[in-house]
Amino acid sequence: MINQNKKFILIILTSILLSLIYLYSNYYKVNSKAYITNQGDNTVSVVDLINLEVIKTIKVGIAPLGITILNKKNLGFIGNVGTDDISVIDTRTDQIIKTIKLNTAPLSLTSSPDESKVYVTDWFKNNVLIISVEEMKVIDSFKVGKTPSGIAFNKKYNYLIVTNRDSNSVEVYNKNTKLIKKLATGNHPFGVYTKGKYAYTANVYDDTVTVINLEDWSSKDIKVGAHPYNILTHQNLALVTNAVDDSLSIIDLKIDKEIKKINTGETPENLDIHQKLNLLIVTNWGSDSISIYDLKNLKLIKEIKTGAQSRSFGNFILQ
Amino acid sequence: MRKFIFALLTLLFSISIFAHGPTPQKVQESITVNVSVEKAWALVKDFSAIDKWHPAVKDIKIEKRGEDTYRILSLESGGTLEEKFRSTDDDLKKIKWEITKGKVPFTDFNAYIIVSKGANANESIIQWTARFYRTYKLNPPIPEGQDDATAKAAGQVIVDNGLAGLKKTLESK
Repeated sequence: MINQNKKFILIILTSILLSLIYLYSNYYKVNSKAYITNQGDNTVSVVDLINLEVIKTIKVGIAPLGITILNKKNLGFIGNVGTDDISVIDTRTDQIIKTIKLNTAPLSLTSSPDESKVYVTDWFKNNVLIISVEEMKVIDSFKVGKTPSGIAFNKKYNYLIVTNRDSNSVEVYNKNTKLIKKLATGNHPFGVYTKGKYAYTANVYDDTVTVINLEDWSSKDIKVGAHPYNILTHQNLALVTNAVDDSLSIIDLKIDKEIKKINTGETPENLDIHQKLNLLIVTNWGSDSISIYDLKNLKLIKEIKTGAQSRSFGNFILQ
Repeated sequence: MRKFIFALLTLLFSISIFAHGPTPQKVQESITVNVSVEKAWALVKDFSAIDKWHPAVKDIKIEKRGEDTYRILSLESGGTLEEKFRSTDDDLKKIKWEITKGKVPFTDFNAYIIVSKGANANESIIQWTARFYRTYKLNPPIPEGQDDATAKAAGQVIVDNGLAGLKKTLESK
């Protein structure tokens, strides 16, 4: 009898342990995904970053390009430039829960740090649209300079930063959407990234990135590879996608110089990082794939086929 | 009549799809050629040899400008096209270049060709990828002939005829 009881308790304990392990791994699984906008086939590929495989393909609007993931709210906002709308994905179920009509092309998206608002650059009418995440609709907009391309939110100063592709400039707005600074960049700035007291733009036509000090407004251009598209920083490095070079430029920010290049797939466009898993993901428009790197040594772990013309302009990793 | 209306609707629908947004156009085509990968790559990698295989090219002139190499192509249809060499990679068997000048219905045309092994030693696969934009980059309405569909069609012809020309030249040697 005693033996039987012991056995019973053991079974119970084991099953509790197993379910905890299951829940834990599941938690990681649902919280570690990359969302890849495939502009050529109107889909988003959902990539499981634990097993490194595509687990779902979601039909969205036409020609999806920009994206921003709201980690706390478990939402993904996808900008469709062909249907002039935004597909909102619930990242717990990976289903579209709402389509927000805009009547203008949403080029890039970012969110406020508290994830209550999503900002969208309106390519056609030179606005930034403000979407209330709670109401799932556009609640306001403000005028910006011509051809607003990239957009990023700086948490340190509460600045919204927008690149103006055709006027070779970057605009900095405060939280009241008032323009406080307009600065020259290199030729044809597209992607923009900001962290701490710096903002960075990737300048497609002159193969440079511009580093802007948001405190004293000084700036500096750094030479990279051919047709840089987007940029992010990690510790003392800046990583830049060189679209025509099929490479990443690695910049040492202590000396503001490119220290090496690493190979990517064909026509790499955008990049994002999963902090806990130490992964760097690059979208390859030319080879319809993503390249996954170990962030510690920048070695390629795997290239995964996604959909046609993978781009994911914005923050595309759920973590 | 019904067929005509259907065709018209399809056309209108496809125009309205592609009339929006700053979307890069992509043409990616492959052809299988019955020669070894080494032989195919030897022709493809030669930036100054396009007049030997592309049916649209009548004559070629190579120009060095500083460190950069350009080819000025006289076209069978009249007119010229200027292209800048970007790089070759012997390991990947990949050549890259861009169109820098010419009367073409597209802009920012970057291309690369990759040669890879086929099913056997005497077979290779040549893949050509081109990325470009329509000429009109501003807001709709888009002027006729400057839209995505026109750009795409023109890029497609260059790639299709080029691959067919490569196959013909390589297999007749």
